[in-house]
Amino acid sequence: MTMFTRSDKVSETGGGAKPPARDDTPAPAEAKRPQATAQPLSHTAPPPPPKAAASTVSVISKALKITGQLESTEDIQIDGMVDGDVRGVSVTVGGDAKIKGTVYGEEVKLSGTVDGKIEAQRVVLTSTAHMSGDVVHQNIKIEAGAFINGHCRPDFGKPESKALPPPHKPAAAPPEQKRDAVVGAP
Amino acid sequence: MSALSLSSLVKPPRRDDAEELPVSHLGRALTVRGVLDTEGEIRVHGKVLGRINADCLVLDTGGLVEGDIVARDVRVSGRLNGRIFALHVTLDSSADITGRVFHHTLTMAKGARVEGRMPWRPLNYFETLEQLPETRQ
Repeated sequence: MTMFTRSDKVSETGGGAKPPARDDTPAPAEAKRPQATAQPLSHTAPPPPPKAAASTVSVISKALKITGQLESTEDIQIDGMVDGDVRGVSVTVGGDAKIKGTVYGEEVKLSGTVDGKIEAQRVVLTSTAHMSGDVVHQNIKIEAGAFINGHCRPDFGKPESKALPPPHKPAAAPPEQKRDAVVGAP
Repeated sequence: MSALSLSSLVKPPRRDDAEELPVSHLGRALTVRGVLDTEGEIRVHGKVLGRINADCLVLDTGGLVEGDIVARDVRVSGRLNGRIFALHVTLDSSADITGRVFHHTLTMAKGARVEGRMPWRPLNYFETLEQLPETRQ
């Protein structure tokens, strides 16, 4: 019991002095970091503290390889390798970038290599672009020197081409009905 | 682009290369499902569902990783559901970790929340990390 009361007293007595001490603690903690790095093992600086304002653009640097999907409701800049689909609003594929998969977006600017498909409202293939596969677009700009092996279809935002066959089916149906009618008549 | 050789984790970093390699930045709105593999730095502000191999990883406030992180340096300010295998681990006060933190050196700020074990491992553990059962999937 005495321990409890004692600790309470300590906290009470220290209570008045503590608030300023708390304000001060972050600064010493930061000041101590360099000392911590001076240890023989940590020959590297610790990762820099995260910036308060995170920019909204995602950058996949050239040293990064991603196997899987990327999805963003904002812009993506890709300079590395992606093995999978990419979905973004504005997708910029840099000159060193390689993508195997489909790139979806409102705007896709390709300077690197895509092996797969591009589906975007606006597509720009720069002179260094290497595109193997189809491009589904609404607006397209192809600079001289760009490589394309595939179809360019201005079908973006339109109903799928598979939606077209149904009108043919009713056309094929009437003969059957006629047959039925013929069969039913006698 | 081979997988990060973990034996290199223990060696001093190649400063020239490290400075050449630009930082990958996964924005707040970005979700990645799959494996991220780099010899450079990654900053995660968004969501990663899968494994991360990097030299240096910063999991920022608001960032979420579900999966394992293998790196030399890891700094966590965000949420992690998975394991960390790193020589140097820094947990900021806003860190929220469920899982294990395998480390050689650890810095932890007051307020960081860790649910799970934080085992210390010797240097050679990280050299042979790929052979260890804990990293097998």
